[in-house]
Amino acid sequence: MVTKVMQIILCPLLSLVVGVFFLGLARKIMARIHWRYGPPLIQPVIDMLRLFYQKSVSHGHMFDLGIVLSLAGSIVVVLFLPFGRICPLAGSGGLLVILYVMLFAPLGIALSGGQGANPNISIGISRKLILTLGYEVPLLLVLLAVMTHYKTISIAEIVSIQQSTGWSINSWPLLLSGLSYFLIMPAILGIRPFDVSSAPQEISSGPMVEYGGKYLALATIEHAFVLFISIALFVNLFLGGAANPIVFFVKMLAVFVLGVCVNAVFPRFRIEQAVKYLWKWPTLLAFVGLVIASAIRS
Amino acid sequence: MSLELVLIAAFGGALLTYLLGKISHSVRDFFAVIVSLALVAIVACLYGRPVEETFYFGFFDLGLVLRLNMLSWFFAVAISTLGALSIIFSLSYMRGRERTDFYYLMMLLVNAAMLGVVLAGDLVCFYIFWEIMSWSAFLLISYNKGPALSAAMKYIIMSVIGSVCFLVGMLSLYASFDTLNISQVASAITSASSAHILFILAAFGIAFGIKNAILPFHTWLPDAHSEAPASFSAVLSGILIKMGTYGFLLLLYVIMGLRVFLSLGHGLFSFHYILCLLGAVTIIIPTFIAMLQTDAKRLLAWSTVGQAGYIILGIAFGTNLALAGGIFHFFNHALFKALLFFTVGAVEFRTGTRDLDSLGGLAKKMPVLFIGTLAGICALIGIPLTSGFVSKWLIYKTLILEGSPFLAFFALVGTWGTVLYSYKLIHNIFLGQLPEKYKYIQKSPLSMQLPVVVLSFAILLFGILPGIPLKVIDAIGISFGFEPLNISLWGIASETGTLNTINIFSALLVAAILVWVVFRLGAKSALVPQQDSYAAGAHTPADKYHYTVEFYNPLHRMIKPFLKDVVDEFYSWTACSVQRLSNSVRRVYVGDVGYYVMYIVLFLAFLILVQLKFKPW
Repeated sequence: MVTKVMQIILCPLLSLVVGVFFLGLARKIMARIHWRYGPPLIQPVIDMLRLFYQKSVSHGHMFDLGIVLSLAGSIVVVLFLPFGRICPLAGSGGLLVILYVMLFAPLGIALSGGQGANPNISIGISRKLILTLGYEVPLLLVLLAVMTHYKTISIAEIVSIQQSTGWSINSWPLLLSGLSYFLIMPAILGIRPFDVSSAPQEISSGPMVEYGGKYLALATIEHAFVLFISIALFVNLFLGGAANPIVFFVKMLAVFVLGVCVNAVFPRFRIEQAVKYLWKWPTLLAFVGLVIASAIRS
Repeated sequence: MSLELVLIAAFGGALLTYLLGKISHSVRDFFAVIVSLALVAIVACLYGRPVEETFYFGFFDLGLVLRLNMLSWFFAVAISTLGALSIIFSLSYMRGRERTDFYYLMMLLVNAAMLGVVLAGDLVCFYIFWEIMSWSAFLLISYNKGPALSAAMKYIIMSVIGSVCFLVGMLSLYASFDTLNISQVASAITSASSAHILFILAAFGIAFGIKNAILPFHTWLPDAHSEAPASFSAVLSGILIKMGTYGFLLLLYVIMGLRVFLSLGHGLFSFHYILCLLGAVTIIIPTFIAMLQTDAKRLLAWSTVGQAGYIILGIAFGTNLALAGGIFHFFNHALFKALLFFTVGAVEFRTGTRDLDSLGGLAKKMPVLFIGTLAGICALIGIPLTSGFVSKWLIYKTLILEGSPFLAFFALVGTWGTVLYSYKLIHNIFLGQLPEKYKYIQKSPLSMQLPVVVLSFAILLFGILPGIPLKVIDAIGISFGFEPLNISLWGIASETGTLNTINIFSALLVAAILVWVVFRLGAKSALVPQQDSYAAGAHTPADKYHYTVEFYNPLHRMIKPFLKDVVDEFYSWTACSVQRLSNSVRRVYVGDVGYYVMYIVLFLAFLILVQLKFKPW
């Protein structure tokens, strides 16, 4: 019982630290690729603390509640994801619940932003939801391939099977699925080349435009969590999870650095181009993966 | 209590309400509410008492039978509850409209007829109530006149085609088994050949498919739902089309039985797999069409078609989890879709429009409706902690674990499409800028808020404690011959994946409180009007700053070419051709006796000519 409570407290904290570290690291790596020196690693922390004590504007209850709900949803997702072997809520619903609780984050922001009544926000949200539909098609195919391959919907079980039989990208169908997941990861994170919904130059950062002060701080924390979740999901599903948190962190770091190096050199897609791309190559790969996985199974 | 009494109360109450309306409108309203609430109470009291009784023998030696079991009880509860809520909603929605006596009569009549359908124990009885239901629904859909008339016409034509198919199936059953009692037919049908079974399945399947609006029989639904009065749209979408679902359950699981229905055909060409595929297609296409709608009720109508696909998919898949998911989703859909039609109707009642392009910002003016809509769309999407999540989880889980990932994919993608149109609905009506003309708009009346509050509460209750309805659903599954599910009050346990909603609920609650505390600790925020930070303090001219028109414009351009309603066009073309044909026939049948005499003479001359030439007689 005590260990369970400890895990429930520790899990979100650890993932927050990792997520924020990744945010700082991303800026540093980007800067180096651009031949700049870049801000210190703890710059996101400094920003957040400063923002937290700055004045801000609000547009009503839903404006406040939306961002709170969104962040709360992300914290709950983390409780469902195995971090190494730590997974406090493993037995309460599995991958399908993760998939659905992950909806809290965009919906919370969307409701909050909608209350903000700024056309830039609405355009941003409209793009975000279209993009979501775009990447969910391959993502669902990927997740279904994994669940079909391992005949379970429990992510903890998927990890423990991989611990005994090896990484899942060693098998053919899941290699394709993993590749597809890696291709759509920037879309899930909403970073370049898929930063259509928060495009600063076109729509003034979209959903973020009315946020200031603590709202922006919470939105940054939220982003850190989303970063953690999507990479942790990849590591858990395809790179065998890990026996302990340290190995898990190292795997995440490797995936993350690779991802940043790829996306640092791409310009932004337009929204139609993004959806067309997402529905073409990643979907094709994921589809073939699922076909093979279900053929092997039956 | 005997079952005739329920029906007598329902039909008699309807008639009495009409007569009372001639005396006083307020007495009538009061009485209508009392009747509908009394029906809820009576039906609830019948829980767990299976009855089967013959109440009339005179019909061609066929006993007319009423019977109650878990399945019909569950449907009856949903029918009477939604009926009562829609009557309460009507109190202010219909105030001051013309022909209200007639309206209440029809509302209560539909309600009574649906109760009759689920309580019927033989097919004749079923058919009689089915027809009363279809025709009174026709009268209600056409209540608003104008475009509603043609929508109602479309509905009734398809409905009649369905009824004819039903009749054919019924006669075929009678011809071979000499009985129409449902339980007797069920025991006799095991001896039938598979061709005969397939024929019966097709005949009844078309009848129920039209009512349930499965592709390609869906075309009546969007028009009918959007043109009917909102209080009736809720009943229509929530429960009336689910009579088709009830019919499918009756047909597949009670009459055919599980083993017969799963053993028809092989592999991909088996009957149950084809029905599953129809369900999957019914999910995906209407969901994408719903995104393009600008009329709130039409959007909800297309969404109804899509959600009916989940129910069919669950029922047709034929495992205990899928069946439980399908039946639970029927129940949830009744709750949340009625709720959404109520809120949209209440908005229309105050603003006079349901055009998604011209509304906005009503959350501050109508907070109860906003919260109701939020609960409704969350359940529609299937966000955890709403009841919609549990039913969808059941369906997905069984599809994945039973090795049908592609069906699961259709269902899941449908859900993400649902996110898009749901958000469009709530964003365009309740969020964003409040148009100038609605600045002094009144709150919605209490009798409209009450059903919204009740339904929102039910959605959350059954989302956090899904064991309550699942217990009844499990009993239904057991009566169909399935293994019992392992259900607790807050979820489902099994070795292949457990759901525990109370854990999710507590985790989310604690997390939300925690974030809220952190949020409060930060520097205070100032509540500002919309245009405060627009142009960095510069003047902004008064205008519409709410991005609603073509909300998903880039997606529109991509998917619109693929979403032509070919089926509807085909039906319209058929209707036009039949009309042309009839017109040309009318040139022959002119109605003048002289012409007919001429036809007779010509025909005789022709016969004589034939006789003279070929001598056949």
